[in-house]
Amino acid sequence: MSRVQLWAADQEDEDLADVDLGLAIGSYGQHELQPRFDEAAFVALQHQMQQQAAFAQIPDVVKRFLVSFHRAVRENNVAEISAAYEGGWNKLTEKYYAKTEWPDPDVVAPLVNDDPLFLILYRELYYRHVYSRLTPDVDDRFHSYENSCELFNFLLNSDGPVPLELPDQWLWDIIDEFIYQFQSFCLWRQKSKSKEPELEEDPALAQTWSTYSVLNVLYSFVQKSRINEYLDAVREGKSAEEIADIVGEYGSKPLYRMLGYFSLIGLLRVHVLLGDYTLAMKVVEHVELGQKAMLTRVTACHVATYYYVGFCYFVLRRYADATRTFASVLNFIGRMRQYHTRSYQYDQINKTADRMYALFALCTALSPSRLDDNVLSGAKERFNDQTARMARGDQSAYEELYSYACPKFISPDGGVGMWGLPLARWILTGADSPHPLLQALFREELKGQKGAGTLRGFLKMYKTVDVRKMAAFLEGEFKGADEVVMEMMVLKQASRSISHMPGESAGSLLDGQSVSTSDLDFVIDENIVHVAESTIGRRYAGWFIRNAEGAERAYDGLRNAALPKNLKELQQAAAAAAAAAGQPQQEKKAVSFAKVGA
Amino acid sequence: MSSASLNPSTRPEAIDALVSGVDRYNPQNISVLEDYLYHQIRHREYDAFANLAVLKLYQFNPELYNPDVVLNILLKALCAAPLPDFNLCVALISDRPVSTDEDTEDHVPTLLPELQRLSSLLHRCRFPAFWSAYNSDALALLRDNYTVEFAGFEDAVREVALRAVRATFKRITTDRLSSYLNLQGEALDAYIAKLGWAQENGVVSIPANPDNQIQASVVRENIQFNQLQKLITHAYNA
Repeated sequence: MSRVQLWAADQEDEDLADVDLGLAIGSYGQHELQPRFDEAAFVALQHQMQQQAAFAQIPDVVKRFLVSFHRAVRENNVAEISAAYEGGWNKLTEKYYAKTEWPDPDVVAPLVNDDPLFLILYRELYYRHVYSRLTPDVDDRFHSYENSCELFNFLLNSDGPVPLELPDQWLWDIIDEFIYQFQSFCLWRQKSKSKEPELEEDPALAQTWSTYSVLNVLYSFVQKSRINEYLDAVREGKSAEEIADIVGEYGSKPLYRMLGYFSLIGLLRVHVLLGDYTLAMKVVEHVELGQKAMLTRVTACHVATYYYVGFCYFVLRRYADATRTFASVLNFIGRMRQYHTRSYQYDQINKTADRMYALFALCTALSPSRLDDNVLSGAKERFNDQTARMARGDQSAYEELYSYACPKFISPDGGVGMWGLPLARWILTGADSPHPLLQALFREELKGQKGAGTLRGFLKMYKTVDVRKMAAFLEGEFKGADEVVMEMMVLKQASRSISHMPGESAGSLLDGQSVSTSDLDFVIDENIVHVAESTIGRRYAGWFIRNAEGAERAYDGLRNAALPKNLKELQQAAAAAAAAAGQPQQEKKAVSFAKVGA
Repeated sequence: MSSASLNPSTRPEAIDALVSGVDRYNPQNISVLEDYLYHQIRHREYDAFANLAVLKLYQFNPELYNPDVVLNILLKALCAAPLPDFNLCVALISDRPVSTDEDTEDHVPTLLPELQRLSSLLHRCRFPAFWSAYNSDALALLRDNYTVEFAGFEDAVREVALRAVRATFKRITTDRLSSYLNLQGEALDAYIAKLGWAQENGVVSIPANPDNQIQASVVRENIQFNQLQKLITHAYNA
């Protein structure tokens, strides 16, 4: 009996002592005892044998890992779950499953006493691994959806809150992955429908990953956890008891509270992917951004939120807000870089950061304003070519950056395209970009900005100037004074933007008032343009403070250094050494002493 | 987008509850929201957020799609320039159903590119070009079927032009203003009088507002106390 030998071999491993061997072997043994030989039993037996073979293939260290992982989950030991989730899983993936799937969940089942909850969580990880490392096929997409539904059903539709605790990071990943797989499914269906038209007719596929079902899950978590009420109560400074009253039995459990919170961010993301930017911003109106906000607990969540919020501001033409949003998170990522270089999400964060640098570069090109030097140089470093071309007014540079930095939009029917021609084809030529319509809309945005750069440069040279004179100078670019005047109106309106006022943190993300974003202001009196420029006085303070602190450090260093006991002795020794070394070096010595004395 | 058109004071409470909650996805509410759109058109109100909710319902329920409503929403959004409302609406009609009902003609495919062009002209402040495009034969369809029933559409476009003029000018020649507003002679005089702007020798003065008052300024650096914390601590300990 090969099977028994296998277990016998395993028993040598002390760590495995926890496994209920009797149970595992027992369930395996059942088929052996079946007296009748029928077809079904034979198939079942074959299946069983295959599973045994698969089970035998699992390295012992993986088995041990799963057993202790299971125990940690059962005991709600968040610290150990975290260690297994962030450490063990990734280590074993690198070692054994870099190019293949983790063991099939059915094969693993006996190791964890067929614990249904743990198996759902295991499948969550199993499919996530398939999505991130391998190429998911139709079945994977289908089953990962089913498994997500099973998990959410379990959490949302059990009698009362489920007594489960998971680390914040994992909860974020569950929601994040759910949306990622939804997005990936839509894009995949869009791509494969042209190749395999029969896919469209599969009714099961029409149900799978429908936009409604995804939104439904996210809204359900939001409502169940009463997260919006919770956030409001915290902002109002209510006591812990009052808050517990407000949020109810679900919302007071960390699992539900965090899932509700992450679902808000998830909704922000889904709405952006669907092109509904106002609704996206409205969904997160109770969420506070900032260094102390709840979202900073999970870095990936922090970064994603700022990316999507910033992108919304960008599309809403609120460039000042977008710039501030990106600058704040990019500075944060910059500081974090020193500590987090090897985190497994680091790559993802870095990719998002690069896209935000691109959007930042776009914002500054579209709406020049006082800038964060750090971030600006970061953006120039990455997109030097495009920045230079944008400065010359090259449209294609804008579009390059935009299509690099924008999210991968999806259409709400999953891109099945039952509705004939996409609108995009009527509006634009060149429909080969991944999201032609929104690309086209961006191109429309740009048209309004075309002449602004030239005019700005020109106006900077004057205090007052006649528009007819400007028209004569800019003959190549504009047709006559009338057109110059109209372009001036565009420039004027572009320099006004609705923006959150600094220091005014309360209120929804969409609130704000009209501000001037440009350092160049002008007004037209009949035909005469009056220009006023705001200049920023040179900044000395930072430089002085940095250097004064440097001087203090040097001073302290000098003062604390041990002085030579006897200066004369030292000099004599030096002179003796110099004499021994010969005449030419004498001079050098003197110089170096002079330096020390100075 | 301004918070005013996202949360207009004219919005009835029932609508507010509807668009702020999950109920906005309920297809049964479509008629309420469509009625509200026509209410906005009749009463010259504007509620961008509620109109986006209509488009959202069409996005999810293609069988509800009503081309006339879509066009009216786009016209409303057009008049919100320079806010990006028009583009926000277009982003939501990315995949559009082919009307299954043979009787009602779907004008969206023909008119959308035209509206896009009009929107672009307004965005780029090319007001005279807007008026000549709008009054061209090509857009007779739009005028005869849609804007004719749209209370104050032309005035709403004039308001777009006036927003730009108010911000940019201290004084403007009457001719120029006339070309922006597409009004001449007495009609123009009456319009200027209604605005309360003074007109003299063919030049209109625009009352002072925060945008047409300019001032050169020097932004001085502002040192926060905590920037000096280290220096002062050191001086104290030394």
